[in-house]
Amino acid sequence: MKTLIIIPAYNEEASIEYVINKLISDCPDADYVVINDCSKDNTLEVLKRCRANYLNSPLNLGIGGGVQMGYKYALSNGYDIAIQIDGDGQHDTSFVKDVVNPIEAGEADIVIGSRFIEKQGFQSSGMRRFGIKFLSGLIRLCCGAKVSDVTSGFRAVNRRYIEIYAQEYPTDYPEPEAIVKAAVTGARIREIPVIMKERETGTSSITPFKSIYYMIKVSLAILLCRISNRRK
Amino acid sequence: MSQTLQIALLGAILVYFVIVVVLLKKKRLQLKYTLLWLAMGVCFLVLALFPEVLFAIRDLLGFADAMNALFVLMIGFILILVMAATSIVSGQSERIKNLIQANALLEKRVRELEEKTEQSKES
Repeated sequence: MKTLIIIPAYNEEASIEYVINKLISDCPDADYVVINDCSKDNTLEVLKRCRANYLNSPLNLGIGGGVQMGYKYALSNGYDIAIQIDGDGQHDTSFVKDVVNPIEAGEADIVIGSRFIEKQGFQSSGMRRFGIKFLSGLIRLCCGAKVSDVTSGFRAVNRRYIEIYAQEYPTDYPEPEAIVKAAVTGARIREIPVIMKERETGTSSITPFKSIYYMIKVSLAILLCRISNRRK
Repeated sequence: MSQTLQIALLGAILVYFVIVVVLLKKKRLQLKYTLLWLAMGVCFLVLALFPEVLFAIRDLLGFADAMNALFVLMIGFILILVMAATSIVSGQSERIKNLIQANALLEKRVRELEEKTEQSKES
């Protein structure tokens, strides 16, 4: 099946080349596209230099808009499976085949790579884990989807969800909302264990200052998504 | 309502309409987004011409003073206008997002075509 790996990147000049090279050796059968979300550093120059396959956004869209652009690209180029990984090197591309397998076998529509199933590798700080648990519980309560690592940006989706996400994808902090969107449209969601690394370079998009805003906004978005979509 | 107040209000409403129409003529406002403003002006024009309507509202809802009823009405209108503006902004940002995405997808195609034509020129 035609597979595309979507890599959103914002200010990832130090890690993006490593991520691309590792990806090419780990997944020789898959295509990839980097989405440079108007980085302020030299990400674009690095992408040009290593002749990467990339999309260059003229304005900063945020992670949601960037990822959606990747899904639009996947849709217009006829891909059957799309995989999302972060551009900062947190996600180990040797797990790509694990997230793809259930989709190729037709057992799931969406597969999420979770760091909390086998509890190995980078587990994030206590406060963040608490926040993730809360959101996970809220999603389970609102739409019955059992996902432990709701903020994981390591996912694979099939053709149906490439179409759905190309048409509509949440902005701002999209990962938990995208799960709700999937659940209310009747997706079969599967979670598989992966090991994540602590980011090696760059800074996370979520600072402590933003975390309260993050929790309120995402919680409201989950509730809103639930009431504005009928479960099929 | 005193005669002076009524005249002052009518004057203010006139200025309001002149501003809206001038902006419309200069195409600084789109009619589509100005209909609410015009509707609001008409409502206040009715209230200034026929204060009895305002007194009726005061008695109906139990305001202590007609002016209080007027203030509440005005604040209500302003809230509706701001909400409409926020809704317009939200719609615009969605459209801009789609435009940026389409632009980036096209830019990639152009870039690849340019590379291809350059290669065929060289060979």
